[in-house]
Amino acid sequence: MDPATTTAPMQNDCETEPSSVWSWWPSWRPTSMSLLKTAESKILACIQNDVWSRFVTLPNRDRIWTLTLTNKGVRKTAEQALKTPLVMVHGFGGGVGLWIRNVDALSRSRPVYAFDVLGFGRSSRPSFPSDATQAEKQFVDSIEQWRHSVGLENMILLGHSLGGYLATSYAMQYPTRVSHLILVDPWGFPERPQPQTQEGHGSEVNKRPPLPRWVKAIAAVVSLFNPLAVIRAAGPWGPGLVNRFRPDFKTKFEDLFEDDTMTQYIYHCNAQTPSGEVGFRAMSESLGWAKNPMLERVHQLPPSMPLTMLYGARSWVDSSSGDKVVQIRNQAPTKVMLIDDASHHMYADQPEEFNRVVENICNSVN
Amino acid sequence: MFPLDSPWNLSFAGCGFLGIYHVGVASCLLEQAPFLVQNARHIYGASAGALTATTLVTGVCLGEAGAGIIDVAKEARKRFLGPLHPSFNLVKIMRQMMQRNLPAGCHHVANGRLGISLTRVTDGENVLVSHFNNKEELVQACVCSAYIPVYSGLIPPTLQGVRYVDGGISDNLPLYELKNTITVSPFSGESDICPRDTSTNIHELRFTNTSIQFTLTNLYRVSRALFPPDPMVMKAMCKQGYKDGMHFLKRNGLLNFNGPLRDRPLLANGEENEEYNDDEGEEQEENKSDKEEEKPDVEQGAVIVYCGTTEEEQFVEHLPHTLHKALIKACMERRGLTQSLSNLLPVRMASTMMLPYTLPLESAVSMSLRLLEWLPDIQDDVGWMQEQILKILQHVLGQASKSISEHVSARFSWQLELNHYESLPSQFSSTSLFPSWVNGSSSSVQDVFMRLNQYKKQLMSGVLCINMDLQGTIKAGAMSPDNSPSSTLSDEGLTMDRF
Repeated sequence: MDPATTTAPMQNDCETEPSSVWSWWPSWRPTSMSLLKTAESKILACIQNDVWSRFVTLPNRDRIWTLTLTNKGVRKTAEQALKTPLVMVHGFGGGVGLWIRNVDALSRSRPVYAFDVLGFGRSSRPSFPSDATQAEKQFVDSIEQWRHSVGLENMILLGHSLGGYLATSYAMQYPTRVSHLILVDPWGFPERPQPQTQEGHGSEVNKRPPLPRWVKAIAAVVSLFNPLAVIRAAGPWGPGLVNRFRPDFKTKFEDLFEDDTMTQYIYHCNAQTPSGEVGFRAMSESLGWAKNPMLERVHQLPPSMPLTMLYGARSWVDSSSGDKVVQIRNQAPTKVMLIDDASHHMYADQPEEFNRVVENICNSVN
Repeated sequence: MFPLDSPWNLSFAGCGFLGIYHVGVASCLLEQAPFLVQNARHIYGASAGALTATTLVTGVCLGEAGAGIIDVAKEARKRFLGPLHPSFNLVKIMRQMMQRNLPAGCHHVANGRLGISLTRVTDGENVLVSHFNNKEELVQACVCSAYIPVYSGLIPPTLQGVRYVDGGISDNLPLYELKNTITVSPFSGESDICPRDTSTNIHELRFTNTSIQFTLTNLYRVSRALFPPDPMVMKAMCKQGYKDGMHFLKRNGLLNFNGPLRDRPLLANGEENEEYNDDEGEEQEENKSDKEEEKPDVEQGAVIVYCGTTEEEQFVEHLPHTLHKALIKACMERRGLTQSLSNLLPVRMASTMMLPYTLPLESAVSMSLRLLEWLPDIQDDVGWMQEQILKILQHVLGQASKSISEHVSARFSWQLELNHYESLPSQFSSTSLFPSWVNGSSSSVQDVFMRLNQYKKQLMSGVLCINMDLQGTIKAGAMSPDNSPSSTLSDEGLTMDRF
């Protein structure tokens, strides 16, 4: 057994659920932190390297669910200690379990840390402010406090989707901590196109039909709710809903899990009390645009920080914002790469290719 | 780069009236990279995608297909309730159109190459039909694949003696999972060829395999799939398809840049459409001037003109001109004298106000028409309906007797229930009732208790257990032992450390 495990403080493994007068009432949603834990442990059982999983408690008593992977074969801790660790930040509605096809391979040469972002997965679910900047600050602060608690000096920071947005924001505020920033299909880069009022180049932009009013009305209604409210509202039908409308998660991990472990995991990650979702909603507007898009701010990244952006060729995330980042950063080392035949979740679609690319990037650091 | 060394397939998603998008994509593929279509091992399609797939496989002119879709859309838009008006018979129009357009020997080329996704009515399973004995079967397969229950009618059509409905219900994008399948979908998402919305929405859902991103434009598109938009909007969708196809070819390096795009009118009309090719020559000269003439006309006629003229011109440069001409023609017809008359405000108002009187009349007329057309199939369909009703009755009876038995078993003791089991067959003399009820009851009662158990777990989490009377009666049903939530006590660090 890993020495670290035994010395680790014994913590109760589940977030205590709020007890109230109504707690005996059968819940409408068939989910709980312990169900999430069961689903996750099924997934994590596939990991072959040494894994140490625990809650990292932040100064403000929030707890971040953290995985640390080290290579079983390499016993020379000194050699491993020299290597900059890789920290992986998952996207919206995900959790550490989604990295199952990557963490093993990536931890061969260096320690790998993966954590559930505050408000997602098994981490604490605090309330988020409704202001975009404040919400972003809460996310980023939690990452910094997490880093401090874990005791990392610097790291290679990898973020997917929403995690990419947070990682970029983190790297701007704590540039000395990030040796290399890897963004995988990051969310929140492009600016929202302004509705054109000028006559001059109106025809250039107005490619699409103006949407009928009822569409806008529906959008207005939808944006009053949390993004995943449907899953919670569906109650006992929620898991079926996830299975029905996201069967891709099942097929992506088909060779690992025959049954619907992965969709179960996704369901339990998202059917809990909304928290990270609230933060995300605060940071976005009109169904998915970032209120403070990164393209406006990306110049704040120090020019010395190398940046690599990975895009799935089939993904709906537009890789052209990557090219714009290259332009904005000008001289600074920036690379945009496309992963062939991969969707938004390229780390699961093309794990070998993804791992190879990320490993190459890591090796370029040290 | 798309791997061309191994065989590849094309797959068109079902999308109702947005099928016009597929026409645009198909014409782009045919024109810019004909080998991609001609050497494709299979071409699959569901619903509207099946129509385009059939068109591609049989080599029918795409312009006609596009014009056909627009014609149907115009037909649907004519009435007050749109496609829901009783006199709009989608199946009939489609069948006629295909009978007219498809060449006689088309099933030979289609055999083994064309795959049409269907949903079997009896079990809801997906069936991929790729063998057709004659032209009628091919047409019928397409009709079945586009038969949306309730929307198109109530009695599902048959193919080779089996009832099928819309393939989109079970698999809207056949064989999308194969690495070498080029998927085409008019909804922006993660298909190979699809519109790229300028949105960064994180949410995406899969409607029977078709990836649909949650954007406003997609919401609009979904609504337009069954309620067709204005012909001009449809034409723009077709262009969008062409553009997205082009984008795909460019991205995968399949585009040959050996010549200006417009000098290669390669639109594969096939041998069957030589006459079309013939006029093409004459038309080409006129084309430029034609366009300028037609354009203002069309734009006057269109209800919503949302494309700026310059933008329009740019697109027109792209769209193959045979297709373009056909579409323009289809859009143009609406400017007849009667049409423009009926578009006048007073006339429209009058017709709307008369609706309560005209609608029943029209319905009656179309109903009797349909009844007449139905006569040849009436025997089959009535037989089928009888079957269905019998099945439903059996099911209801089974359910009822089940609930009775549950009541009884909950009230009385175990022995009493046994007696009940024995006495039941004599009470219900129907022979077909007994086996289904016995088989059904054990599993579903078990189900109920599983559910109860789950609730109990949530309720008391193993501390307090109300001893339910029901528990006793079900022991014979081979219930699994109650697995109480033991995991809550184990230590996290230890459980995670298994390797």
